[in-house]
Amino acid sequence: MSTISIQSVSKCYQNGFEALKNVNTEIHSGSFTVVLGPSGAGKSTLLRLINGLETPTTGAVRIGGEAVEEHKLRHIRSRVAMVFQQFNLVDRLSVVTNVLTGRLAQRSWVGSVLYLFRGEDMAIAQRVLARVGLTDKAWSRADKLSGGQQQRVGIARALAQQPKVILADEPVASLDPVSSEEIMTLLREICDRDGITVVVNLHQVELAKRFADRVIGMNGGRVVFDGPPAELSQQTLRTIYQREGIEDDNSLDLALAYA
Amino acid sequence: MNVHDLNSARPQLPPKPRNPMPVWVAATLAMLWLIVWDLEISFETLAYGVEDMAEYFSRYRQPDFSDLSRYLELMGITLATALWGTVFALLVAFFLAPLAARNFAPNPLAYRIARETLNFMRAMPDLLLALIFVAALGLGPLPGALALGVHTTGFLGKFLAESLERVDKGVCEGVASTGADFPQMVMYAGWPSILREALGYVLYILDRNVRMASVLGLVGAGGIGLALHDTLRLFNYGQSAALILVILATILIIDYASAWLRGRLG
Amino acid sequence: MTTVSTWRWPTPNGLPPLPLVGGALALLAGLWLTAPVVEVDFVRLIGSLGKMAAFAGQMFVAPDWQYVPQLLDKMLETIEMTVLGTAIAVVLSLPMGILAARNATPHIVVYRLTRDMLSLMRALPELVWALVFVSAVGLGPLPGVMALAFVTVGFMGKFFAEAIEVVDPKAVEGVRAHGAGWLQVRLFAMLPQALPDFVGTVMYILDHNLRAAAILGLVGAGGIGYDLVMSMRLFQYERLLLIALSIYLVVTLLDRLSDQLRTRIIHGRRA
Ligand SMILES: Nc1ncnc2c1ncn2[C@@H]1O[C@H](COP(=O)(O)OP(=O)(O)OP(=O)(O)O)[C@@H](O)[C@H]1O
Ligand SMILES: [Mg+2]
Repeated sequence: MSTISIQSVSKCYQNGFEALKNVNTEIHSGSFTVVLGPSGAGKSTLLRLINGLETPTTGAVRIGGEAVEEHKLRHIRSRVAMVFQQFNLVDRLSVVTNVLTGRLAQRSWVGSVLYLFRGEDMAIAQRVLARVGLTDKAWSRADKLSGGQQQRVGIARALAQQPKVILADEPVASLDPVSSEEIMTLLREICDRDGITVVVNLHQVELAKRFADRVIGMNGGRVVFDGPPAELSQQTLRTIYQREGIEDDNSLDLALAYA
Repeated sequence: MNVHDLNSARPQLPPKPRNPMPVWVAATLAMLWLIVWDLEISFETLAYGVEDMAEYFSRYRQPDFSDLSRYLELMGITLATALWGTVFALLVAFFLAPLAARNFAPNPLAYRIARETLNFMRAMPDLLLALIFVAALGLGPLPGALALGVHTTGFLGKFLAESLERVDKGVCEGVASTGADFPQMVMYAGWPSILREALGYVLYILDRNVRMASVLGLVGAGGIGLALHDTLRLFNYGQSAALILVILATILIIDYASAWLRGRLG
Repeated sequence: MTTVSTWRWPTPNGLPPLPLVGGALALLAGLWLTAPVVEVDFVRLIGSLGKMAAFAGQMFVAPDWQYVPQLLDKMLETIEMTVLGTAIAVVLSLPMGILAARNATPHIVVYRLTRDMLSLMRALPELVWALVFVSAVGLGPLPGVMALAFVTVGFMGKFFAEAIEVVDPKAVEGVRAHGAGWLQVRLFAMLPQALPDFVGTVMYILDHNLRAAAILGLVGAGGIGYDLVMSMRLFQYERLLLIALSIYLVVTLLDRLSDQLRTRIIHGRRA
């Protein structure tokens, strides 16, 4: 089981900014959840808490009953993979090596510091590369690939971890519409076929409507909407995207009209 | 932010900058004059010396290469000393630098200890270290190599740690998010990202160590420096000139070689 | 699991890349061949650990407080030599830098000649030049300052030329378009742009020169170096301790100072 439960979590950054305010939610095993919200709503903070890249100020995050804590990070992260907006690949390493970093948590540092991998790990890397359609680019350097291809390497790295959960923080924000479509389809297929829980941060309401099982709307560090995408009416979108202190927001109306 | 907020603030001109330049220049000149006075540098001696200098340097006009094979052998020892010193520095810095980089260090204590160790190694001049190692190990190139190694570990370690601290935060998080531990972080997110910079630093250190190795002989640490010291003492200008030329030629060759290597890597 | 898993490198054939293996083997061969030359002998190295500890133990004697006034005097002399040598070098390297910058030099021949001269000047360490200058002008701080300035011009001229070469050509054209002459273009368009870079390198060089100056006394060229060698030769550990400590202190202090100044220059006036 890999249900993610977020229990009265607040996050106060070092500069005193409160990015999350008492968030409570549960994300079920095998579901595809999209988190929507304006810039600064706390979407990235939420995902980073689940992977342990940030620690909550109060409250706790549990994955399949296990709390995300400092001394268990390696174990937790081996099951919770992350996909980033800027891909965050190691430029100078080959595509295969980048994918193989997904296996690091399973292996002690003894062999891996010499870039030595087991045959099994290599087979896994080849399988996931085939799955994202990049077998022919396996030996290229990561920075020689296009953005869409790099993001597919990012997903392959996540898959190589054989995770229970994949967290994707705006995976398509730097990609063109066609690549975005490919990446979202890939993530959806991973969720359906492998039963991996997928949580995606998005800025595209339209993509959320088409791909998600469930949408969580955030604003100002709070959850302001939670439900299936069918319930995303103009009115709910208004609550999600409204800006503080602005009653008549022309930009908001204009943006939502095209959503 | 609201458009009105921007306009409501009264336009305020920045304060007129004062130009402190003349004061600084005057203070510097005064200080330099004080130093000259305190060091008792007499311009008479200097003028006298400069007048003599032409004559003095003309004594080096005829290099005496009769002992060239010995000079080359000494130069070989010097180069070997520099190589061992550099490899020593590389090995130690390889382990210390990640600990001394804030973003990679496993804990603040390890960070502080590594930083201070590097600072200490850097602060000790290599000739002073060579003197100490010669006292402990006896004469020969080994104490020289050790001295170069210890001193340049401080430099190389600092340079590499600073490079590691500039590694993109996203790349670090990308590898960290897979659950990699400290050695794996260093090998996958750290070194590959700074490879080219690191090679540049190592070449620079090698270059520097060759220069320094050629004077280590002065403190009894073997190599070509000792021979130069002896010939200069005996006022043997021909042989001194030959030795200086051998050192110069070697250093220029290394200069060009490392520039070429850097160009190929860059 | 009982199956023996095969280990592979992430390359098409599973073996480490050839250039890497070649390079590593070449380095190892080089070390192997030069080991006897450098007299690397691990037995001797381990054996000397005791001696090294004994030596370190001897350093922990009651410091010779009577020596402190002379120490301060010599330390001040060392610092003064550093500052003076560096200052002279700064003044001399400005014109050298202009002549050695591809975009500022009057003629390509001048450029090549200046470049070569600069690399000759910095090829040998200060100590060798100090040795030469001591034979030329006699003992004392003067040959030390000369040696420091000489080598520093070699380094600083090169750094400065490189800083000028990356100056924005548009600003230079702007000044030239207003009818500025040869020298004016260099003084008012190129120098101001190259200056911030220059200040950073001056700090590095000051740092380096302080260490060098601390040693020059070895050949009679002034500074703390003479006392250092003498106390070592005469086994005056109660002085040696003080000298080593003071060198460490001054160098560390300057190091911190230059680190701070550099970050301030790089990140503007804050921090
Ligand atoms: N390391 C940090 N230190 C201080 N404040 C931070 C830090 N990281 C984020 N914040 C602040 O926390 C708030 C929420 O940030 P977060 O990145 O979670 O927003 P987001 O919803 O992902 O926005 P976006 O859609 O622009 O990515 C923002 O106001 C941001 O300025
Ligand atoms: Mg974000």
